[in-house]
Amino acid sequence: MGTMGLALPWKARISSTPRERGKRVEPSEHFAGGPSPAAVDALSEDAALAAACRSGDLRAYERLYTVHGARMKNLARNVLGNPMDAEDAVQETFLKVQRSIASFRGQSSFVTWTYRILINTCYDARRSRLRKKEVANDDSEQTPGLEPRAPGAHPSLRMALERALAKLTKHQRDVFLLYEVEGFRHAEIAGMLEMTETASKNTLFQAKKNLRLMLEPPRSSAAEVR
Amino acid sequence: MNVTCNDRDRIFEDGTPAEWAALEAHTAFCPLCAEEVRAWKSLSVAAKELRDYSDSPSFWPRIERVLAKEAARNAPRAERKGWFSFLLDLSPAWQTALAGALVLILTLSAGRIYLRRPFHGGGTVDPSLLKSQALKEVESAETAYERAIDKLAAEAKPHLESPATPLLANYQEKLLLLDSAIAELRVQAGMNPSNAQLRYQLLAMYQEKQQTLEEVLEAKRQ
Ligand SMILES: [Zn+2]
Repeated sequence: MGTMGLALPWKARISSTPRERGKRVEPSEHFAGGPSPAAVDALSEDAALAAACRSGDLRAYERLYTVHGARMKNLARNVLGNPMDAEDAVQETFLKVQRSIASFRGQSSFVTWTYRILINTCYDARRSRLRKKEVANDDSEQTPGLEPRAPGAHPSLRMALERALAKLTKHQRDVFLLYEVEGFRHAEIAGMLEMTETASKNTLFQAKKNLRLMLEPPRSSAAEVR
Repeated sequence: MNVTCNDRDRIFEDGTPAEWAALEAHTAFCPLCAEEVRAWKSLSVAAKELRDYSDSPSFWPRIERVLAKEAARNAPRAERKGWFSFLLDLSPAWQTALAGALVLILTLSAGRIYLRRPFHGGGTVDPSLLKSQALKEVESAETAYERAIDKLAAEAKPHLESPATPLLANYQEKLLLLDSAIAELRVQAGMNPSNAQLRYQLLAMYQEKQQTLEEVLEAKRQ
């Protein structure tokens, strides 16, 4: 590739660790008077990464993987239910990014665009899996098979949450996973799911209300169930 | 700030930090809201259970292999397509200048072919095809240009990588265009080595690139 040996401006500036999760800064928390310097820096990093990927430099893709790969895989696993399908979806996403980077015009951030591709890829995979199941005449399972993974502090809580998530609408599940699990801001989620920021907030609210009902029914009805 | 039980859902959906603080204060006196806030927050805590960022060392190498394979598969196509799509990104002034330059180059090439064509006593040999001796000359001229250009390009590289002035940026743009055109012509010439018109166009492009690089170095000295 012709870019070998070129100084890559983003290399020095993009931090090597994923953005600290759980330290989300909502737009309402910003001081008035324009984006913060950190936001401006993130934007220029994003543009530099996009440009480097567009030039065909595989190291730029490696950088994208280093910063976002684990999060992409985790998101895919939560949508698809198992690590193998998740890895396939992430790999397919990188390939799609490489194939269509020339058409990326920067209307959204590069990272947002990449996650949008990932989410679409996951749902394509889910659909094709469902079709295969239909062909095999196996309708025993409606929701993705959830396979074991690294044990958390509360495995039963995790399993209950996974089951409840599978019963949400697609958008509610996506917004919950992106916001609560992956730590994205509503502005970013809006770009990924092609909705407004207000819709993202409202969808999260509905998702959590439904999850609350499923996981922790009001005490009176819980007693009835028992 | 004062909040009531009725504000709770709205704050859950889109509350400011100040509103959240007021809701927390309200829960000290309202067990119902205290229970709701606890349950609401516990969902965020539970969500962390769905995080598994464990590393799989073989995963990136696997993706990299696929990307490299795809890049290699598309390389010749990208070279050919690249130069046309690059034209579309150019400013109208550059497009006009380039169109003029190409017309000039084609005219000069045609003229040179006409003047240099060997005399054949009434034969029916296609004059646009180079004979082996002429082909050798052209190839050695190409090699000489390539060598000279490599030397100049190495000297000019630091100035072009991060152009300090608009003039240098323009030169950089022009060189990218010339590189694309050269790549395109080389592909075509590779498929049809005896095509005189292609070879002379290629030489003209080399000449243009050499001149441009010299101008870059000249501009840097001034
Ligand atoms: Zn209350």
